[in-house]
Amino acid sequence: MFKLAAKAMEIADKYRVDFGDIRVVEDRGQYLSVRNGGISGLTDATTLGYGVRVLYKGAWGFASGREMTERAVAQTAMKAVAIAKASRRLMAAPVRLAREPAYTDFWRTPFLKDPFAVPVQAKLDLLFRLDAVLRGNSRIKATAASMRFTREHQWHLTTGGSRIEQVLLSSGAGMTATAVENGESQLRGYPCSHGGQTLAGGWEVIEALDLPAHAERVRDEAAALLRAPACPSGARDLIIYGNQLALQIHESVGHATELDRVLGYEESFAGSSFATTEKLGKFRYGSAIVNLVADATLPGGLATAGYDDDGVKAQRWDIVKGGVLAGYMTNREFCGRIGMRRSRGSCRADGYENIPIIRICNLSLLPGDSSTEELVSGIRDGIIMENNTSWSIDQQRLNFQFGCEIGWLIKNGKRTKMVKNPAYQGITPAFWGSCDAIADHKEWRLWGVASCGKGQPDQTAMMCHGSSPARFRNVKIGAHG
Amino acid sequence: MNNIERVCKKIFRLAKGVQCEVLAEARESALTRFADNVISQNVASSSLNFSVRLLDGGRSAWTSFNQTDDASLKGALASALEILRRQKKDPALLPLAKPRALPAGRNLFDRETAELGPSFRARKAGELARACRKAGQVGCGTVDNGAAEITIANNLGLFARHRESSVKHSVTVRDRDGFGWAEQHAHDVNEIDFRGLNETARAKAAAGRGPRWIKPGKYTVILEPAAAASLVSGLGLYGFGGRMYTEGRSFAAGKLGKRALSPLLSVEDNAIDGASAGLPFDYEGQPRSKVTLIENGVLRAVVHDRETARKAGTASTGHALPRPSYMGPLPLNLAIKPGQGSLADLIKGTERGILVTQFHYTNILRTQAVEMTGMTRNGTFLVEDGRIVCPIKNMRFTQSLAEAFNNIEAVSALAVLVRERGTISCPAMRLSGFNFSSSTNF
Repeated sequence: MFKLAAKAMEIADKYRVDFGDIRVVEDRGQYLSVRNGGISGLTDATTLGYGVRVLYKGAWGFASGREMTERAVAQTAMKAVAIAKASRRLMAAPVRLAREPAYTDFWRTPFLKDPFAVPVQAKLDLLFRLDAVLRGNSRIKATAASMRFTREHQWHLTTGGSRIEQVLLSSGAGMTATAVENGESQLRGYPCSHGGQTLAGGWEVIEALDLPAHAERVRDEAAALLRAPACPSGARDLIIYGNQLALQIHESVGHATELDRVLGYEESFAGSSFATTEKLGKFRYGSAIVNLVADATLPGGLATAGYDDDGVKAQRWDIVKGGVLAGYMTNREFCGRIGMRRSRGSCRADGYENIPIIRICNLSLLPGDSSTEELVSGIRDGIIMENNTSWSIDQQRLNFQFGCEIGWLIKNGKRTKMVKNPAYQGITPAFWGSCDAIADHKEWRLWGVASCGKGQPDQTAMMCHGSSPARFRNVKIGAHG
Repeated sequence: MNNIERVCKKIFRLAKGVQCEVLAEARESALTRFADNVISQNVASSSLNFSVRLLDGGRSAWTSFNQTDDASLKGALASALEILRRQKKDPALLPLAKPRALPAGRNLFDRETAELGPSFRARKAGELARACRKAGQVGCGTVDNGAAEITIANNLGLFARHRESSVKHSVTVRDRDGFGWAEQHAHDVNEIDFRGLNETARAKAAAGRGPRWIKPGKYTVILEPAAAASLVSGLGLYGFGGRMYTEGRSFAAGKLGKRALSPLLSVEDNAIDGASAGLPFDYEGQPRSKVTLIENGVLRAVVHDRETARKAGTASTGHALPRPSYMGPLPLNLAIKPGQGSLADLIKGTERGILVTQFHYTNILRTQAVEMTGMTRNGTFLVEDGRIVCPIKNMRFTQSLAEAFNNIEAVSALAVLVRERGTISCPAMRLSGFNFSSSTNF
């Protein structure tokens, strides 16, 4: 592949571009789903193509193609140059990229069992087994159990001399049961809804989920939720479990600290950010126990790789330290705007067809020193919420509202009854400022976000967020406030 | 015979006698994105993907790929056949349908639009940027264009093809603390009013400076077409899809034939010849039907694919989506029946209310009541005694759409084409008692 890719670099050199690169990407994805007792999806998809990026006299151009011939690669590279020339018609200062050493390397996601080598029928057998258990209640009207596996093989050549080959692997699975009665429906999932849990790695990720051990509970809780009382409204203390805390991190910290958003380059679509650059190192994002770390080297992380798609080596850095805004997700184009001489390496593209853009890295809330029991015992009147069903946040990442699958009331330090339709609202810095306890490392888990959308044209990226349950004081509970 | 047809025939040969369906999607797209009054991203993409479904007596397998050399095709089909053979039978699985006569649909292809180049897009971006710079404003947005061709074929004799060109100009303008937005989609670039969109967004941003905070609560709202379309699309998604309906999870479950919404609301799904026309057949190769979903507030029908139609004891309306489809068949070409008067008339008739340009990040909270939440964005104004009195800071709504669309006071005469989870031809609307649950400081 590098031989074919070199053709694009020849064209880039011919036009004396400031910078050029080509990423040849071969993606394989396998998706299996069983729904209401039948196969609803059994897809094996492979794509192969390349994206060529050039920075010509300070302006960007990008083009992609799928014809794997030297002639087609050369034509695509020339198209990228022509687009860059058009970009020069409307530019301010020329784009200058932060320096990065040239690397020649091969990197691969560590794994124990190749998920593509596990027979399809073995995977389907497990899904059918789960589905049969989930359907074992007359109030359950819709069930779903699914698995997904991805392998991205990429060959990256840059005019700066990098020659990087990477193979990124992910595996995921999940199940949901939806109970329906009297014009109402309730959904419960394991490990969570939105397709379940995905992590970097092989079939061992699926085995570790131990899906069969949870199917009965998921089914029974979905049915029980129908007859549970509704979540009360008003200000209460809140403990967040599961993938809901991961999504809280994702939406209110991850996207808010993408430097392109912060600088206004996403204004027309996803929006901007309240976490503007003059706040770096000063702004109180949360309480002193809130520490959020971005880490492209994290084992199991979906954004873990040897290098990002700017060719920057993987790093670990603070985003919020001791409650104060401490860093951003960056690329080589924008990091200089905040005085950084080197990018943090958080620039990735979706497949071969898209230009690399700043994406959220693996971003985790560091554990505290409490147990979950201690979090609960410190609440007189509160609620526990687990697993996301609905999410919405404004275009500056301040005002959010999340709905969850299930809630449990807390009275006088004890977890009591189940409630349905739990939801909470807040304003980002005030919410993180109300965090007064975080469970310790024993309960810390990594949660995958397998389909984060951003950019125009739309791009999907994957990343993880690690967290243990955390307690927030005096939060607005209930959808209507 | 073109390349796609040739590849389909090769695939059918390799399917070795089992039922075989091919979906081929060819796309050429280009997008120029600008921010801070300069081009920030400029891209072009070319793709051709094949998705193949094999069916054999209650067994099924899918494979998809974008390389069509003989070795790639042979490898992909051999793997899929192997999966098919090893699979247990599912007696409920439907075989392929016999080919049916398909409507021609509206011509939605314009070569000039499909082939607009980067110079054209840069020129259009520049027109906005120069006007913004002169006025001390910041312009952001996109100019994008392209073409797509979709082919559905099977080895029972179906071969259906549809192509569309597309162009969009989307403009967001910031004027200190004021924001404005305007956007237009078309199949023909000559229909895009670039200058008008730029001026609308710039004027709205200027008028949006110095927004005031108002208390959340229930207000009359005047929804511009884009804002109204966000809500209507939610109603379509959670109310009128055959899968949620047959599982008793949709808003329409148990309500067909009953008046559940305002008599001012009539909605049809029409991909064939209406304002929101699109693909005239579905992803099973079935002809798309025009379906009246809501007639003067009475819920009339939901849309089906073959699977949900069988469960509901009816016929497919031709609304299958590409498989695997999480939500099943959905109405994605909605047309809302226009009413009377202009947006200005809706404002004029409002004693006290809020004018909303656009909603951001809308999402569902409870499906049966279609309770949704989202934020206002890019131009929210307080209206008193029939006129706009001031811009206001953005607010979050949390509202059952079943209730909101029962409270329609007026619908405007002019419907605008909006892309929001499909294509929607939507007029402006005025609704009473709309719930804003919280606010922001911007």
